[in-house]
Amino acid sequence: MNLGTEPPSIDWHTTTDATSGDVIVNVMSGLTQYRQDLTCAPSCARSWEVLDDGKRYLFHLRDDVFWTDGKPVTAYDFEYAWRRLEDPKTGAGYADFLNDVVNAKEINELKVPDITQLGAHALDDHTFEVRLKKPAAYFIYLTAHWATYPVRKDVVERYGDRWTDPANIVTNGPFKLTKWQHDYKIELSANDHFFEGRPALDKIKMFMVAEQSTAFALFENDELDYVDNRSFSTHDVDRYRDSPYYRRIPLLQGSYIGFNVLKKPFDDKRVRRAVAMAIDKSIFPKLLRRGERPSASWIPEELPGASPDATLPFDPVKARQELSDAGYPDGKNFPTVALLYANREDTRLVVESVQAQLKENLGISIALANQEWKVYLATRRKDPPPIFRANWIGDFPDAETFMNLFTTGNGNNHTRWSNADYDKLISSAAGELDMAARARMYKQADRILCNQEAAIVPTYVSTQNLMVKPWAHGLAFNALDIQFLKTVSISEEAPR
Amino acid sequence: MLSFLLKRILYALPVLLIIASLTFVLVRLVPGGPFDAEKNLPPEIVKNLEAKYNLDKPVHEQYFLYLGRLARGDLGVSYKYVNRTVNDIIGDAFPVSLQLGLIGLTIAIFVGVPLGAIAAVNRGTAIDYAAMFISTAGISLPSFVIGAGLIFLFGIELKILPVALWESPQHMILPAVTLAFAPAAYLSRLTRASVLEILEKDWVRTARSKGLSHFSTIVKHVIRNALVPVITVLGPITASLVTGSFVVEYIYAIPGMGRFFITAVGNRDYDLIMATTLLFALLLLLTNTLVDIGYKFLDPRMEVEG
Repeated sequence: MNLGTEPPSIDWHTTTDATSGDVIVNVMSGLTQYRQDLTCAPSCARSWEVLDDGKRYLFHLRDDVFWTDGKPVTAYDFEYAWRRLEDPKTGAGYADFLNDVVNAKEINELKVPDITQLGAHALDDHTFEVRLKKPAAYFIYLTAHWATYPVRKDVVERYGDRWTDPANIVTNGPFKLTKWQHDYKIELSANDHFFEGRPALDKIKMFMVAEQSTAFALFENDELDYVDNRSFSTHDVDRYRDSPYYRRIPLLQGSYIGFNVLKKPFDDKRVRRAVAMAIDKSIFPKLLRRGERPSASWIPEELPGASPDATLPFDPVKARQELSDAGYPDGKNFPTVALLYANREDTRLVVESVQAQLKENLGISIALANQEWKVYLATRRKDPPPIFRANWIGDFPDAETFMNLFTTGNGNNHTRWSNADYDKLISSAAGELDMAARARMYKQADRILCNQEAAIVPTYVSTQNLMVKPWAHGLAFNALDIQFLKTVSISEEAPR
Repeated sequence: MLSFLLKRILYALPVLLIIASLTFVLVRLVPGGPFDAEKNLPPEIVKNLEAKYNLDKPVHEQYFLYLGRLARGDLGVSYKYVNRTVNDIIGDAFPVSLQLGLIGLTIAIFVGVPLGAIAAVNRGTAIDYAAMFISTAGISLPSFVIGAGLIFLFGIELKILPVALWESPQHMILPAVTLAFAPAAYLSRLTRASVLEILEKDWVRTARSKGLSHFSTIVKHVIRNALVPVITVLGPITASLVTGSFVVEYIYAIPGMGRFFITAVGNRDYDLIMATTLLFALLLLLTNTLVDIGYKFLDPRMEVEG
């Protein structure tokens, strides 16, 4: 397979990178794991209890899970790992994952200096207790995420920053890390003692080929068994769309046009609504040609809480009316604004289309401001412009990961939008354990965000495009874009 | 010679210091930092990270800390590849680029110089035009076009060479040829111009009138003297080839250091930017020194000055 790039790290506490995740999920196992439909199944934990109205979790660990050096995986390994994740010295990007756990945020912000005060304890070798500040319906998903995997204290302390080197690392998953030629290739080999049984593949080679056409040429020459978006250019998607080996999976990745609601003219929600109704989202898949899906709500339709109609429908007549009501009849006197975007071919196509549609449907001219990736990120972080294009990738399969983004004070809410009703709904939904009631709350919040207030205009949901060789079986792709390889086998017709 | 080398070292140190200082300031003036990401890290986590890497200290303090580490041979840490030091990264990647660069350089010299000389000697003939057509194409065509063409022809259509990767000596052929194309073309044009100039010299006519054969005149007198300008450009060409080419390494998936000249800037990986810049500067100074020594061998009348 092709990773496309060097994983920045495979220390699951210091990386937040998806490429790192591709390696980590295949060498490690957590308390739980995702099924194909992204519900949670037991893994190192054979079962768990939800106690105290959702504020306390008790995980019962299997006794047949071993590290690759033969030592048993115990609840103490999880206790150490979770403390390390919150320890400010670790500098973990995903430390906020455990914000619902008692004292986690406080430890990470140095407000509680004693790390043992974290509400996650090993009660004995096989029982791990987690105490939450308030119920969090999505909490179980976090225990399947690699940020919460166990870590061996003695290994980290012995090798320091080098503990993830192939010679030092110990893992507990289906494969072992055997070789890492930086910026080139990672090799994994089967873990004979994996508790779910030895995987079918003896060895996996993960190359780091950055150039899409090169990677696709390697696939065509049978040197890669499958390729995904990293190795699959739009030109090649067009060529192979009808191939029996082509597959497409919608991802939990949404793009949107955001407004800084504190800046004119988008401080007026009528202007935002006018823009939202003047954009025909069905154009984006035709432009991008990778199977994108126009957004009907901010929550992707694979998740409970998604609506078929949360966003404002395309309606140029109503759009002009709202713009006129806001004081800009036929776009007259509309101030000059520039739509900020990061320098990439696909985003350029999207923003140019938005620019053209706003001109045609509202009579307003907006400029485009193109910035290099890190400059764009810094601009958006420090002083978000009136209008910008952005993207969001879900961390876990729950509406919370999308909806929390636009709550008041969220560090990634570049719209500066703040709505008390919305905040209250998101807060209540997070703790609601009745799934039907919870979905209703998210639907309502989605309507406030995308329709009544139009703080953002969701544009499209991305997809994973894949080509798989006929001899590669059992590749299980999912909307979180996590590629588990323990179920994969290669049949004998494979040319080697 | 010894005093020449000593002088060169003394001259190199302030040059490197100036380059280090300018780069240090410039990379920090560029908007965006190493921890900016699609998902903003919470401010407290950014604070933790900045403290971990001393980025929370005043810039002048960071500068002196960096220089102190540099003096001890410690090139710093990578903010992107968090479990690796810059020494590790350069240590892994530079030997690959060096190997590929030296093969490319050898091809460039052994193809470019004879091609230019043959063109000059056969000035105005079909051979000259053919040679200059090849060299013009080599200079004009970007390496990603040449690389893609070679991959398509030899890797996909003829299937006689690997399309990419870095596994065996066979895997080196296409990238080395791609890498050598432009410098070979440049060297051939330079050699041609230089040989033509020398051919007009009185002493060449004298050598011929003394009865020396055409071949001996060209090889013993003309080429040797025509090489002086060629040797001059070999310094920067060598430094550029052995530190890796972003394009060639990118399209052939080669784990060299050429990519870091671009990606380190994109990632705002400050110490890695410093290291690649300083290594390139150091190699440029080194190869220029070797070029000066080369002059002495080509023409013993030349004095090497510090």
